[in-house]
Amino acid sequence: MNAWSELILILVILTNLLLVGGNRLTGLIRFAAVQGLLAGLLPLLAHSQALTARLVFLAALAVALKGVAFPLLLGRALREADIRREVEPFVGSEFSIFVGISLLAFSFWLSEWLGIAQAGWLRLMLPVGFFTMMTGLFLIISRHKALTQVLGYLVMENGIFLLGVALVGEVPFIVELGVLLDAFVAVFVMGIAIHHINREFNHMDVHLMARLKE
Amino acid sequence: MNGLPQPGLAALVLLPLAGCGLCWVLRAPKRILAVTWLASLLSALAAAPAVWACLHGRALQEAQGWLALDALSAFHLAVMYCVFILSSAYAQIYFNGGLSSGELSLAQIRQFASLWLGSLAALTLTLISNNLGMMWVGMEATTLLTAFLIIVRRSPDALEAMWKYLLICSVGIAFAFIGTLLVAASAKGLVQDPGQLLHWSRLMAAASGLNPKLLKAGFLFVLVGYGTKAGLAPMHSWLPDAHSQAPAPVSAIFSGCMLNAGLYCILRYGALCHALPQLADWSAGLLRLLGLLSISVAAVFILFQNDGKRLLAYSSVEHLGIIALGMGLGTPGIFAALFHTLNHALGKSVGFFCMGRLGQIYGTNDLRRLAGAARREPIWGNGLLLSLLAILGAAPSAVFLSEFLILKAAVEAHRAGVVAVFLAGTCIIFISASRRAIATAWGEPASPARLPGPRAGLAATLLVALPLALLFCLGVWMPGPFRGALERCAAVLNGSR
Repeated sequence: MNAWSELILILVILTNLLLVGGNRLTGLIRFAAVQGLLAGLLPLLAHSQALTARLVFLAALAVALKGVAFPLLLGRALREADIRREVEPFVGSEFSIFVGISLLAFSFWLSEWLGIAQAGWLRLMLPVGFFTMMTGLFLIISRHKALTQVLGYLVMENGIFLLGVALVGEVPFIVELGVLLDAFVAVFVMGIAIHHINREFNHMDVHLMARLKE
Repeated sequence: MNGLPQPGLAALVLLPLAGCGLCWVLRAPKRILAVTWLASLLSALAAAPAVWACLHGRALQEAQGWLALDALSAFHLAVMYCVFILSSAYAQIYFNGGLSSGELSLAQIRQFASLWLGSLAALTLTLISNNLGMMWVGMEATTLLTAFLIIVRRSPDALEAMWKYLLICSVGIAFAFIGTLLVAASAKGLVQDPGQLLHWSRLMAAASGLNPKLLKAGFLFVLVGYGTKAGLAPMHSWLPDAHSQAPAPVSAIFSGCMLNAGLYCILRYGALCHALPQLADWSAGLLRLLGLLSISVAAVFILFQNDGKRLLAYSSVEHLGIIALGMGLGTPGIFAALFHTLNHALGKSVGFFCMGRLGQIYGTNDLRRLAGAARREPIWGNGLLLSLLAILGAAPSAVFLSEFLILKAAVEAHRAGVVAVFLAGTCIIFISASRRAIATAWGEPASPARLPGPRAGLAATLLVALPLALLFCLGVWMPGPFRGALERCAAVLNGSR
């Protein structure tokens, strides 16, 4: 079981680097979907004790939302917006990869500093959670399109999901449920917002939306 | 729980939601707007007995400790209801013109009313949650619901403001959740029942055993996260846009309730840090730092601000900064900061009410073009001047008193730097904003008004005059029971009930 979860965590790291370096929007949505799927499966492996119905239900919900529902929503927004498929980052992809690797290093340092001695492979989970979260943040900050920003938010949510499993393990059921639903509604709401923005501006380039400033 | 004759706390969340449902059944826009007011009033009445009891030192817990009310949350709840009742009443006046000219459709009014009551429910949930996770859910729901309140009237500017608000605050809220997780991790093994891991009262009781490093990291994340919602600099960048683009009643609840709710969440975590001797000074220092930064940033931007709503928005950054500063200055500071919370909420609401109507009548928010407003529109023009003077801290207003008390707390704590920055910031803001306010109210008219507009009626007069009268009364005389209630709120934060 340990080997499996370690493999999953390494795959999550890989998806993060792909997300940071990728430059086709459809590809990015696919990477985020794979990452969501992996993140959703982890809680099943994280607890060595018997699988409870609660755990299975949550994992199923997480996989359904993060792996299926969110990418579908984003894909629809992409088709509807009929935009150019390139990512057009503010910074080049080589630099992005460099930032990604620095973030990875920083995440390991941060987890060391917090000094929660976790048994075995759980040690890997905390830095991967931080790394995923910071990758999402980086995507939000450094990309032009509203859609890529939502994607970044999704990646951030994946990271927080991993952090939750690593830090607490047993977050109260209702809170976990609330968090998942909140993420769902947030993405849904952002999708609607993109729809409006696209209709009103005929584009969704965030850096062109700059009428409100001092 | 204690045999009080009052509806359960959960009812306070359900009541506005019921009103929300009613909005979708009714077909007359004016009735729908009336429902928003009635539902706010009814919720306030339903909450009144519990709030009263808690302000007198009781503490309620319900639903296995998931919901709770103590003096601190009761006080914030009371302020929130005041602002909601006033703003819902004002919404009837504000949307009246748009309704009669056919600019606003039934669907838009329905959207507004249901989101409005939904936000009330979400804010209530935030304030009455004893569970930190639940509190977070309430705050996140507030963000998502209020985002659409900004674009009731759709325009490119409003959409831009909404997108900034949605994205920045969602990221902020995500940070707050990481903070919540870290705090939960810091309490591992202290709370037996995992279902109660995040109950604030449990954490408070076991505070001395919390892992300081994790709590420290958690507080940092929470401060940045909820600080974004509270509009503290440097996370305030969404605030002026959202406030200036939203309809005026929405701006009023943003400034009067939502920002306070964000700060309230930070305070709950601050109390946990306060209970650990090695973190108490550190967390108070951070609050002071963010407070002073907010005051300075607001001062710089108010200096050159000609847009009335943006001016009020930056003034909110300033006042939330003042409140955060007070919270970092020990018990006398906390007392003054809570008092300031009420004063700012009342004064700022009236400010947005007047600015909103003047903006509608003149067709612009540019203060230079509103010159002479007090002669043309005595209620709204004078209301704007008086409310601005009141929130700027002109002498007999309650804001003056609360700012003075915060200053006194800083002097007594021998914090010369804090005193200097605070005085410089508030003086700059006072001079630049009051100069503009006086010119707006009594200056020579620059351009003719767009529409003649209906005369402000009795309801409008009361809406402007009552809160202002209260503000100026509280500045002169603070009743004993009110002082006692504020002291009990401050005691909650010090960990001694």
